[in-house]
Amino acid sequence: MVGFFDEQEFIDEAVELIQSSIPAPAKAVIACSGGVDSMVTATLASKAIGDRLLAVYVDNGLMRKGETEEVEAMMRHMGINYKVASVADEYFEALKGVEDPEQKRKIIGEKFVRVFERYAREFGATCLLQGTIAPDWIESGDGTRDTIKSHHNVGGLPKDMGMTLCEPLRDLYKDEVRQVARALGVEASERQPFPGPALAVRCLGEVTPEKVQIVREACFIVEDEIRKAADAGESVRPWQYFAVLVPSKSVGVQGDRRAYGYTIAVRAVDSVDGMTATFSRLTMDVLNRISVRITDSMKSQVNRVVYDITSKPPATIEWE
Amino acid sequence: MMKVYVVDNGGQWTHREWRVLKYLKVETKIVPNTTPFEELRDLDGLVLSGGAPSIACEGQRMGNNGEYLDKAEYPVLGICAGHQFMCQHFGSQLGPADMPEFGEVKLHIDDHSDIFAGIPDDITVWGSHNDEVKDVPKGFRVLASSPSCRIEAVACNDRPLFGVQYHPEVENSEYGAELFQNFLQIIRDQRA
Repeated sequence: MVGFFDEQEFIDEAVELIQSSIPAPAKAVIACSGGVDSMVTATLASKAIGDRLLAVYVDNGLMRKGETEEVEAMMRHMGINYKVASVADEYFEALKGVEDPEQKRKIIGEKFVRVFERYAREFGATCLLQGTIAPDWIESGDGTRDTIKSHHNVGGLPKDMGMTLCEPLRDLYKDEVRQVARALGVEASERQPFPGPALAVRCLGEVTPEKVQIVREACFIVEDEIRKAADAGESVRPWQYFAVLVPSKSVGVQGDRRAYGYTIAVRAVDSVDGMTATFSRLTMDVLNRISVRITDSMKSQVNRVVYDITSKPPATIEWE
Repeated sequence: MMKVYVVDNGGQWTHREWRVLKYLKVETKIVPNTTPFEELRDLDGLVLSGGAPSIACEGQRMGNNGEYLDKAEYPVLGICAGHQFMCQHFGSQLGPADMPEFGEVKLHIDDHSDIFAGIPDDITVWGSHNDEVKDVPKGFRVLASSPSCRIEAVACNDRPLFGVQYHPEVENSEYGAELFQNFLQIIRDQRA
């Protein structure tokens, strides 16, 4: 792409916007998942309003393996005020019996806000900062645009939210956010995108703790094998890569015994901004290692692995 | 600074058009398609975005696009639904595509005289459309086609009006920024 994005200019404007949206002595909470969007927003907000900011990370039971510890460490390194909300039970309870992806996303979006409201009340904050970026509101739809998927931080926001909203990254895409992140020295700058509703949208249909555990382990294997292949120079690191649990069962054979288990779909895509994407041309060797490791180590749940070879459009990157 | 706005017909990539124009250092803004033409009279050019409406049966969702096409003296570039609407406005039939295109499209360019200046004959671009333009509007010519879609790009013979069925604004379309640069060059030439 010709032309360029001036990250320094953006940083100055964003800090000013946050300062004017949250004038002293007002306080704000920031919704912090540990991804690059929210960590950049947190860093900008910390520059703008200092200790009038509280970061809240929600451990909703839907995060990846080791993620909560990793994000906590990042927030500690940043030296900002933070709290971890451990609310997994609330989420699983609210998602019980829900199969429709839009409904799942809306329930999760509302839960997030209710948690943030609790922490805001305690901290005395009147404003919610979010790392919303352009694809979030574009795909959430409005009067003009179709809803492709309701992003938790836009389409999932309840109408009766008791806080003002400040979203300094609204006009940026992921590549631009990373540029800002590098300029600010944000540790999360190269973390791969991870959806707000987390593993709930990688677990098609109803979300249960058991299914989340399966997809969590499969996601870990996909990430681990691709990272190793990329480190060894065997494969380029895709833009995003993960596993999806397909909740229909198929027949297999394991050690001369009949097996009947779930399918894991492996998804890896190359993109710049998340608005278009192609499936990654991973080598067959890498795909094979992923497949063998998943079916061997998860034999009682999974006996089939497939690779998703669709672009966006017509598919989206995540399956729900 | 040149002023080129983007009319929002509800496309997933309307904001990408805005981004490309911003990167090309043009003063730009996304405006609803209900904006009166009077407010857009002083621009140097206009982009009509794509969108979900099927123009063939939901033309009313295209707001004032027709007025813009009738009154604008500056160059106009219609993209996807914007292109379809432009062709229909000047007399084309629209209908469901014989073969819809989602994602990769192999584009063959026949006419390099304006928006495709300096772009190779065969390029890979990205499309996303259910409908297509069935015949060329009177006074227009076809600039490019694909194996699945005959009318991928058009230009008007006596006014600076251009239409592309595919999406030059997305990262996966080759020579997308170049097409926008060519469009801006046409604007500059017209102003001179």
